[in-house]
Amino acid sequence: MEKHVHPQAVVAVKTGRYLLVLLLIITFNFIIPRLMPGDPLLNIIGEEAYYGAGGALENLREDLGLDRPLIRQYFDYLGGVFTGDWGYSYLYMQPVLAAVAGHLGWSLILILPAIVLAALAGAFTGSLAAWRRKTRTDTFLTGSLLLAYSMPHYWLAMIMLFIFAFLLGWFPLGRAVSGGLEGFACFSDVMWHMVLPLGVLTLSKAAYDHLIVRSSVVSIIGEDYILTAQSRGVSAAVVLFKHGLRNALAPLVTVTAIQFGMLFSGAVMVEVVFSWPGMGTLIYEAIAARDYPLLQYAFFIITVCVLAANLLADLAYRWLDPRLR
Amino acid sequence: MKLAKLFRRNPLIFCGSTLIILIILAALFSPWLAPHDPWQYQQAFLEPSREHWLGTNDVGQDIFSELLAAGRVSLGVGFVAALVAAATGAVVGIVAGFRRGVLDEVLMGATDTVLVIPVLPLVVLISAYLGPNLINVCLLIGLVMWPSIARIIRSRVLSLRQSGYVESARALGAGDRWIMLHHILPNAMPVLLAKFVLTMAGAMLIEASVSFLGLGDPGAKSWGMMLYYAFSRGGFIREMWWWYLPPGLAIALVIFALNLVNLGFEEKSDPRLKRVLEG
Repeated sequence: MEKHVHPQAVVAVKTGRYLLVLLLIITFNFIIPRLMPGDPLLNIIGEEAYYGAGGALENLREDLGLDRPLIRQYFDYLGGVFTGDWGYSYLYMQPVLAAVAGHLGWSLILILPAIVLAALAGAFTGSLAAWRRKTRTDTFLTGSLLLAYSMPHYWLAMIMLFIFAFLLGWFPLGRAVSGGLEGFACFSDVMWHMVLPLGVLTLSKAAYDHLIVRSSVVSIIGEDYILTAQSRGVSAAVVLFKHGLRNALAPLVTVTAIQFGMLFSGAVMVEVVFSWPGMGTLIYEAIAARDYPLLQYAFFIITVCVLAANLLADLAYRWLDPRLR
Repeated sequence: MKLAKLFRRNPLIFCGSTLIILIILAALFSPWLAPHDPWQYQQAFLEPSREHWLGTNDVGQDIFSELLAAGRVSLGVGFVAALVAAATGAVVGIVAGFRRGVLDEVLMGATDTVLVIPVLPLVVLISAYLGPNLINVCLLIGLVMWPSIARIIRSRVLSLRQSGYVESARALGAGDRWIMLHHILPNAMPVLLAKFVLTMAGAMLIEASVSFLGLGDPGAKSWGMMLYYAFSRGGFIREMWWWYLPPGLAIALVIFALNLVNLGFEEKSDPRLKRVLEG
């Protein structure tokens, strides 16, 4: 038998768990470079810095406190994470915090609109397909969206780039801004650069949303209240969008939260193809340069975003489901 | 005819598994099917011809032969990773759901904790430290993908443990381990299979992404690695679509097929969907 738990307690427990995950990630980031084969100093500062430092290596080891006891190092590290002392990126020639913060915004500019646009598109096609289930409309819509969903994000990005930038020349080949522009001109320039990466991300996400909405609308089509509404003479479209979508909303929000990590990863891959200056490009360049501090904090900050999305969804879910209000 | 009946009853599973079996066969028999040795260096950047169906890459390897050989790696990684994830998830889910109590709380706490950690960035970080190695990637992906399987298996087990045959087995004096192995596991199998299929698709996508970021094993080229080379060594800029389209299409088709099979399972096992779709 399930225990009856107060909804507020559920949110509190979940928040506690998210904080635990956060601490776990931080600890993980501390342990990994010290556990891996090779000189921990190399694993902590990255290859470029290590081989570029020459005779200054021993000083660096002392500066970073690697000669101190491990437990002391851990608390120093923990303190550093929370005070924003994240180390130095030799790849970007700036503190890790500044490098990561500068790139995170560009990623979110792609991800957040993609979530909204995809939910709208997926809700429309999903309920249409559910209404016309087992007809040619359904087969075509669901089939082609499933195929789009099955493509690696970056491959879809390459195809889009090839068609709309190489062949047709409608959109730029990459990056986010042309430079030298100000005010509205700069804004519309970013929008113009954004169309293709945002389109790819939205298409992939919409494909998934479509499947969620379709199956949740199909599952309520035989319910009594739908039949009642239909027998009252309410038009099919109203029934579909009022009752059908209302029911699909809660699962859609939950799935978006659970899939947020995957969506972020998708954005990372799309960014690499478009040289979009977000977390993806940062990770790509950090891998090539073996800049470990950057990679660690990229992982950290993406996890923070995922946890925030989950917390937000927990709150939204309570608001969407009248039984929990 | 039996096959025709099967097809009519569940076209999704039928189409999906036919497609996947064809691709697996092509990958399995690649040494006999491939017209060239996929590692042999010939003239670089050739266009498609009768000799080289998909041209050659930047170091002159025949792309069509490479495509067939890479299928082994991509499918192999997906299969092994999904196997690791399914085994871990099944053990955790069955033990937690069957034993209940403190063990359940602890296992599910761990499951929910791992569940929220974003998979790709984690795999990328650890692979960057470990260096390119095929076996590491398999294990790593498997070990981060088990939580959602454990969750779904547990909820299935919770309903199974109440069933009559478990009660009777217990009344006959069967031990916990016997019941879990002989009654719970076989009945949780359809759910586990559906999740396995989905996990294999997810694992293949992660492998393809990790390889595309430059962390693939150069000694074992996968479809993702082919795309990485095509993108980073000028295939994309030179508009050599015959180089970068086929590997991506291969990945998409396998994952599409796996998703079809999973969708078929879902419709079959969800009585509400079944009633509406067939009624």
